[in-house]
Amino acid sequence: MSAVEGKATSALYWRVQLQRNRGVRPLFIVVAAFVALYIYLFPGLVSVSGISKFAQSWLPLALVSMAQAILMLTGGISLAIGATVSLGAVIAATTMTGPLGVPGGIVLVAAAGLAFGAICGVIVVRLRLPAIVVTLAASFIVGGAALLILPRPGGAIPAWFSDLLAGNTPTAAILVIVVMLLWKLYLATPLGLSLYAAGENPVGAYRGGVPVDIARIAAYAISGLLSTGAGLFVAAQTGSGDPVIGTAFTLNSIAAAVLGGVGFLGGKGTMRGVIAASLLLSVMINVMFFLGFPPVAQYVAQGLIIIGAVALPEITGRWRRR
Amino acid sequence: MPAPIVEARGVSKSFFGNPVLNEVSITLAPGRIHALLGENGAGKSTLINLLSGALVPDGGTIEVDGQSRKSLTPSDARKAGIAVVQQELSLTSQLSIAENIGLGAYPRRRGLINYPRLAQRAREVCDLVGLDETLATPVADLPLGRRQMVEIAKALFREPRVLILDEPTSSLSAHEADTLTELLRKLRTSGTAVLYISHRLHEVMRLCDYVTVLKDGTVTADRPLEGVDAAGLVRLMVGRDPGDLFPAWTPVDEREPIVSVSGFSSGPLSDIDIEIRRGEVLGIGGLVGQGQDDLLLGLYGALPASVRSASFNGRPGLPASVPKANALGLAYVPADRKREGLHLIHTIAWNMMLPGFGRVRGLSLRNRDKERALASELADRLDIKGDLTRQVQALSGGNQQKVALAKWMPSDPPILLLNDPTRGVDVETKREIYLLLRRFAGEGRAVVLSSSDTPELVHICDRVAVMREGRIVRTLEQGTISEEAIVAAAMGAEPARAAA
Repeated sequence: MSAVEGKATSALYWRVQLQRNRGVRPLFIVVAAFVALYIYLFPGLVSVSGISKFAQSWLPLALVSMAQAILMLTGGISLAIGATVSLGAVIAATTMTGPLGVPGGIVLVAAAGLAFGAICGVIVVRLRLPAIVVTLAASFIVGGAALLILPRPGGAIPAWFSDLLAGNTPTAAILVIVVMLLWKLYLATPLGLSLYAAGENPVGAYRGGVPVDIARIAAYAISGLLSTGAGLFVAAQTGSGDPVIGTAFTLNSIAAAVLGGVGFLGGKGTMRGVIAASLLLSVMINVMFFLGFPPVAQYVAQGLIIIGAVALPEITGRWRRR
Repeated sequence: MPAPIVEARGVSKSFFGNPVLNEVSITLAPGRIHALLGENGAGKSTLINLLSGALVPDGGTIEVDGQSRKSLTPSDARKAGIAVVQQELSLTSQLSIAENIGLGAYPRRRGLINYPRLAQRAREVCDLVGLDETLATPVADLPLGRRQMVEIAKALFREPRVLILDEPTSSLSAHEADTLTELLRKLRTSGTAVLYISHRLHEVMRLCDYVTVLKDGTVTADRPLEGVDAAGLVRLMVGRDPGDLFPAWTPVDEREPIVSVSGFSSGPLSDIDIEIRRGEVLGIGGLVGQGQDDLLLGLYGALPASVRSASFNGRPGLPASVPKANALGLAYVPADRKREGLHLIHTIAWNMMLPGFGRVRGLSLRNRDKERALASELADRLDIKGDLTRQVQALSGGNQQKVALAKWMPSDPPILLLNDPTRGVDVETKREIYLLLRRFAGEGRAVVLSSSDTPELVHICDRVAVMREGRIVRTLEQGTISEEAIVAAAMGAEPARAAA
């Protein structure tokens, strides 16, 4: 093997990463354009407090979008994301001021997310039931449980903890970066990379020695953890718990995943695309606010952008084939 | 002979009561390239699935290194060093070549994938199979032949002692196939046991040392390849007694073409000329997946296609859509009757009426009495037994197929396109379907019968067009049709008709 080639192979990891950027480049350009427009409308964004505030509004959506995308990569989907977010919020708001304190609350929120996700995963994977049905049922169960824990908005998050996460600090921005790095780390493990094989070609992957079932169940557990984590953050933002606060996240997470290029059939898409798409949706809302659009028009625009983003590759593909 | 690595002893397997393998024995020995031959449906894929642990035999044993394994699992087989290159690819298109090659067996370092090591090992196996693409290239970017090479490299990555290849060259270019041949010879020298499944006889003759031939789930030959010629192998694969399965019929003289198409291209098909005549059954033969489905669907207006010139039932041009094809008098019965041909949870009568709802309605509402009368008349004509208000899924495969045929009868189509109508059908119903087909031809209709079952082409058809790689490679006329001729044309073994 020549010296040049030796160097090329040792850089395999980075070259693979570069290849994965290809499909999402147009999205990155659109995101960059919107961010630029946002900065033009609101120069205050380029400051520690500006970035802190924006990251706080973005973080929950980024987390739930990842939670949805990881399932869609395995060929699944979850309709329980929103309910799980609410569950995370009420657990945080009811435990953190109690005897368990903040650390105990964090552990409980994380354990609830992992356990709930893993149970969903086992039911979907082991009993071979359709994910959409199982998670629909789970959304009622979890949503109901959240209402039982906290029938009406209430509870509390210690003020110092709220300030740490959602005060005038860049904690949220740092958290986004940390979560992205953890995801990179997970994808660098054999189990993490198996997600793609388990989603696209489960039979072939199984025959090739990939632990398909474990990879899928792990995806559900991680998805649950990300969702309750988002709930905890939302509770810290508002300073209290609300048992239905997560509802809108279910559909928004699907929107971001689809916009980010994740396919419904599994094995297609990248997390960087999903995170960029969640960023786009967050920026878009802010931009339209600054442009003076009424809030209702934002929904219309959001829908148009999603359908356009999904239809565009299809249309250009057909046009090219002619 | 050195001790065998894997040995199947008298293994049997059946699916839903249909025996697929019956007391089959095969021995894979190191340093030998072993050919496994047989027609479509002879049980080759089932046998390799048993050898690799993907299926468990109903009877018999599989021995690995002399130890009997009651149930071999895929992971047992992998640990024993058995690697399979499947016919359908098992690659993940979004991952890179290197990540696909290592999938399921990544080298690790502290729990993470050891990318430098993976790159080095993947480069080694890629060099072996002649893959010079960058290792970071996503598999989605590769053409089919290169993906097949990745699949082979993936098997080699595990350093197998037994390498099973299921039709590895079907999508390879001549150059890639040569590289593979070289590689397999090297592996033989280094003591690997290779099981090689191929439909290309000349390849087998050139490469292999030993051959096992399967026919209808039993072994008809298990011997060194030395001293056998291609014609002999073909005889071993097809030789069987047609028995009383096929009805007697006399060729009709009415020979006026009803469909003539030239320069037909669609998807994998290029430049096909075909003529369908009134009163004949035209067979479409060849190995599975040579473009037969595309040809029928293209003629039926269900796939976009182009032609130089075409005439259907006296009108020029191809039908542009299925309703237009129906209007021209074409009817199509799909191979996958459960998905494409029938609505399983609806009643027999409802299914039979479906294309004809428009024809029997009064003014604008459906006329139930007329429908009932028509349904029972159709059932009589096609000999469909039992209560017509039962769900179609309650019927046997054969009777389902008759319903799928019956639904076109009210419109009295002069051209029938049938895609493998006897697949998974019991012998008795097969015979009834054969009788029907001959009767349709006798009534002056044109019947096109695409089939993976060679004997039925020989005994039912007036002419047989044999397809290979998207082309009609030979059209056999009355008197020259034989199983040997069809199989030889399908596999590209040209001089195999010496006996005729």
